[in-house]
Amino acid sequence: MSTATNDCFIVNGKLALPYQYFAGRAGSRFIISLRDEKKIRGLKCQKCGKVFVPPRATCETCFEDICENWVDVKNTGVVTCFTIIRYKEPHQPVDPPYILGLVKLDGADTPLAHIVKGVPLSKMKTGLKVKAVFAKKTTGGIMDIDHFQVVDDKPKFEMGYSYDELEIGMSASFTKTISETDVYLFAGISGDFNPMHMNEEFAKMTPFGTRIAHGALPQSLIAPVLGMKLPGLGTVIPEITVRFKRPTYFGDTITAIGEVVEKIEKKRWVRMELRWTNQKDELVAEGSCLAIPPMPFNK
Amino acid sequence: MAKRVGICAVAQTTYERDKKDIRFQGMALEVLEALRKQVDVTFSRHVKGAKGVDMSISVSDDIFDARTISDNAMTDVLGAHFGCEEKVAQEGIQALYYALAAIQSGHNNMVLVMGHCKESQAQSRNMVTHMAFDPFFTRPVGIDFCAAAGLQAQAYSAKSQITDEHLAKIVVRARENASKNPCTQEIGKVSAEEVMASPMLVDPIRELHAYPVSDGAVGMILATEDTAKKICKNPVWITGVGNCMDSFFLGDRDLTSNFALKKAVQYAYKRAGITDPRSAFDVIELSDQYAYQLPMWAEGIGLCDAGKGAKWLDGGGPVKQNVNTSGGMLAGNPLILGGLVRAAEAAIQLRGEAGDRQINNAKTAIAHGVMGPAGQFHSVITLARA
Repeated sequence: MSTATNDCFIVNGKLALPYQYFAGRAGSRFIISLRDEKKIRGLKCQKCGKVFVPPRATCETCFEDICENWVDVKNTGVVTCFTIIRYKEPHQPVDPPYILGLVKLDGADTPLAHIVKGVPLSKMKTGLKVKAVFAKKTTGGIMDIDHFQVVDDKPKFEMGYSYDELEIGMSASFTKTISETDVYLFAGISGDFNPMHMNEEFAKMTPFGTRIAHGALPQSLIAPVLGMKLPGLGTVIPEITVRFKRPTYFGDTITAIGEVVEKIEKKRWVRMELRWTNQKDELVAEGSCLAIPPMPFNK
Repeated sequence: MAKRVGICAVAQTTYERDKKDIRFQGMALEVLEALRKQVDVTFSRHVKGAKGVDMSISVSDDIFDARTISDNAMTDVLGAHFGCEEKVAQEGIQALYYALAAIQSGHNNMVLVMGHCKESQAQSRNMVTHMAFDPFFTRPVGIDFCAAAGLQAQAYSAKSQITDEHLAKIVVRARENASKNPCTQEIGKVSAEEVMASPMLVDPIRELHAYPVSDGAVGMILATEDTAKKICKNPVWITGVGNCMDSFFLGDRDLTSNFALKKAVQYAYKRAGITDPRSAFDVIELSDQYAYQLPMWAEGIGLCDAGKGAKWLDGGGPVKQNVNTSGGMLAGNPLILGGLVRAAEAAIQLRGEAGDRQINNAKTAIAHGVMGPAGQFHSVITLARA
């Protein structure tokens, strides 16, 4: 084949022709909604019920004219198919490697091809939930959706220990110094402006000889233990009993402790012993409660 | 089928990465001269009473040729001056369908089909196939046929349990077969390890899983039964044809369903009276642009059950059923000629002219072409020798 390749002259050329395309009536409505309202719309066939995105004026299977049957579809959807583009071409909107996916928007039946971001390439899989991220600047077209971002569908909060995770002997505590401000604010919350809490001159006449905190104030310090630590977020406390042993004076540092003492298998609740101590390790109060640990994650 | 139509001559160039010392007209001329050595025909269709080629169909693509009406640069080579000249810009195998229709309709007696493509001319093949997409919703996202194949490969491999090892074996075999094909000498043999070590192109497709960029041309002369028998001692008869176009948007299709291919073969098998595709063919040529497509199209034409591509590969299906003994598209043909080259290869086998790769006593064949992103359009043709 190759004869005198040295004599072969290669002429450089370029096929380039700026163009303007009318997007069609359905295409125009779609693009305008995207541009002006950041809304993705589809066209629904009344006969087969299929919702098309991108839009078509006619259902390809029913031959129905559907060009006026606009429906809103959601900005969220599921990746039904994907690949990772590793080669570079001038027509690509982003530099490789990147994920190209088919995204079935919630409310649509025909997945849309688009760029997917927000997940390491090695972790990409079908079925991931995504959300449209709109471009900061409109370009009047499908790239008004800049890309689809993978939505983390894990709970945003770390839930507490479930019944099965809880063991007898597990404990947690919370410590706080009770100030005059705390007592005054608590009076406001409870409406209990009893002078034994508010008025030093009155308090001098009581058996305590000085102002003390409301009993419910140190007691309430067990709430962050049960609700936020043990069992933690998602816990419900159907019963709590307390016996007060000693007053809490202004400036006292109170530690509230809860400890799992019994697992009630039948109800899948736990019983916890509660103790409140002050900075001198004196018992301020003691009691117990029933706790309904958080149910498994509600996805 | 109605009147029989015979393939009387088949010729092709070699397929190379860059035939930089020959223009596409030159490639076609090389083919034409080879065809004329096989059958003595004239092109003097404007002369009253002349008998010979009375219709020329060129297969070419405007963007690959970087000029519009790409066929009008071909008139000379096609011998089409002052006569009927047509162009197929679809998959090249469609030109055979076109020739068949022209002859069976009674309009034409003898048809020349000539396909050419120099993929090397464009900066990249992907830039050409990118232009096949709509400018509103798909092109801005940067898709081309390679990207679409990646989506299909991912979905199909998951459905049919095709592994990286399967794909490597397909490429190894394709290149081994190509070594026996004088038209694909440029492509070298590889080991499975080399294939599996080649970089990812568009996951799960590796660079060595993709068909190489190539230049080449292929042509045939077809005629009515009477004429074919006169000008040719061993014509190959077209027994069935079928094609089907799936939805345009990738999201409208089930990329793993083989919908269009199943329809295409359904039409062709009906015309050819084929009921069991597993035993119907001595030669099977599939357009495997990417390695995953070999088992996928095999499922589609009915060589194995849907979703059982892996089992078919593991059971040695490609060897047992003589699939792509030419090397297939993985050995290198330009995109638009894939199916036409497959048909040419099948005809060469049926004529018993396949040299080192000849399949013993090959009597029947199927050739398959595919065009559009992720197998949007499929076309098949079934052939038999007398």
